[in-house]
Amino acid sequence: MTLWIIIVYLLLVLAFGIFCSRLVGRTAEAYFLAGRGIGSFMLLMSIFGTTMTAFALIGSTGKTFEVGIGVYALIASWAGIVHVAIFFLVGIKVWSLGKRYGYITQIHYFRDRYQSDMLALILFPVVVAFVLVYILMGVIGAGRFISNITQIVSYPVGMALVCIVVLSYVFLGGMRATVLANTFQTLVFMVMGVIAFFVITDSLGGPQEATRTLLESPEGSKRMLRAGFVGKWELATYGLVTLSVGMFPHLFQHWLTAKDARSFKLTIIAYPILCMIVWAPCVLIGMWAAGILPHDSTGHNAVLAIMVSRFSGEVLSGLIGAGVLAAIMSSMDSQFLCLSSLFTHDIVARYYQHPLTDRQRVALGRGFVVFIVMLSYLIGYFAPASVFDLGIWCFSGFSGLFPVLIAALYWRRSNKYGAIAGVLSVAALWIYFLPEVMDPGREGEFLLFDLQMMPVTLIVAISSIFVIIGSLVTPKPAPELVERFFPNAEPGITKSAISLGQ
Amino acid sequence: MTPLFTPRIRNGKDKTMKLITAIFMVALVFAHQDFWWWDQYEPLILGFLPIGLAWHMGISLLTSAVGYLAIRYFWPSTHELHPEKDPGNPEQ
Repeated sequence: MTLWIIIVYLLLVLAFGIFCSRLVGRTAEAYFLAGRGIGSFMLLMSIFGTTMTAFALIGSTGKTFEVGIGVYALIASWAGIVHVAIFFLVGIKVWSLGKRYGYITQIHYFRDRYQSDMLALILFPVVVAFVLVYILMGVIGAGRFISNITQIVSYPVGMALVCIVVLSYVFLGGMRATVLANTFQTLVFMVMGVIAFFVITDSLGGPQEATRTLLESPEGSKRMLRAGFVGKWELATYGLVTLSVGMFPHLFQHWLTAKDARSFKLTIIAYPILCMIVWAPCVLIGMWAAGILPHDSTGHNAVLAIMVSRFSGEVLSGLIGAGVLAAIMSSMDSQFLCLSSLFTHDIVARYYQHPLTDRQRVALGRGFVVFIVMLSYLIGYFAPASVFDLGIWCFSGFSGLFPVLIAALYWRRSNKYGAIAGVLSVAALWIYFLPEVMDPGREGEFLLFDLQMMPVTLIVAISSIFVIIGSLVTPKPAPELVERFFPNAEPGITKSAISLGQ
Repeated sequence: MTPLFTPRIRNGKDKTMKLITAIFMVALVFAHQDFWWWDQYEPLILGFLPIGLAWHMGISLLTSAVGYLAIRYFWPSTHELHPEKDPGNPEQ
């Protein structure tokens, strides 16, 4: 039954994507950015669906089972605060600049902002490598999940099923189909998470009884505290990991799809609440599971699946499975499209001798989508198990690049030398710490010093210093470039009028 | 082109609200570091939620409220958003 529900769900998404593909226009802007016409609700759903991966359902439950309720503070509430600040301070500004100057990708913006091909060529491989690892986490996770939950479909076939479904609608419908499929899938995984919570809670005799059972178990209240599992400096510095969202190139592209700046308002208000709706039930299930499941023989990532299969029927198991796949695919589709856009616009269109027509760009974009999906599948097929450790480390890399973006958006004196220095410092530190992160003998998170700080703290600090010093010790940017990105006064409103409060 | 936003008229009340919103933003980040609940789970909110988790769920709700205030009092002006297309840009 579970297998059939999964198959029906994948077919449903496929049909939905193919239907949406009929809505796409013929221009490159229509294919890659949905014609910059996405309204409030779909912008919220696509941004939320893109930032929430399978970790929001499976990982949050398993991690709480392992280290207690501190997971919510580490990720969910930090994400609410930091991501909303990023949408407000970065997202709206990026949308505005994209609308004015016609940007399609993140690299496109950086090249134009600093008038530097060198910066774009250095940033390109860094960003592509990070996103590719991120995609692999989804592809491998989906293959393993389908294989585990159905017990019939093999891992390579599971990966292939998800890749084909996502490929089909991204290939045919571009950003428009991606956003519509994201909206649908985000609703699916949110609703399924909430249903799983109520069914499991009911089977445990209600929430009060479930908490009482945990307190009376040998585990007691351990998973209901932060003490012993999460360090205070770890909590304080974990927020820097959530800065990574600001430099996700696929999210950058979603910001550019907004119809107008007002479309961001709903996202800014509703995003933290959606985080709570998805994370709080999963954290509670993980907490209660700590008093029920044996800790020595339960794999953390299997906790949600075990709780669902033990306390609900096969149908619900299948539906929850569909919800998890929805979470995975709603991130993967944007990443496929984003890499395709980067290759098409920032490499081929930029360096090919003859200008490309819109039709050629769309055809090229589609070709790259196929290439990236096949590449991901092949790496997923032969990949080592360590892709997940590497994936989490990539978030720290994205966070390290965040100061480069902030300088570009808000610092008039910043220049291409500072930006290049910032990007290179992140790449160097990322590679320097890589052996420590991948060390199989290490237990728990890789933390810095006796203070138990997240290593991202050092990466962000050093990257910021390199951007600042690199800009200050090199020539000022050209005045016309500064004026282009930082226009001085509001037209029609004089400085005296502003000072008079008029 | 029709402006998307009307630049907000600055008056005393708006300035006060801006200050209050800014204070809320800073307070939210401090409230997030709730070391005061670090090693206790009681009181259990609604009889089942450990106080540390309930507190952070409250932080999520407050973030939403602060987001509303930020939109209300810190929304960029039309000029800052400058959404009109650049006629000199050949890629449009």
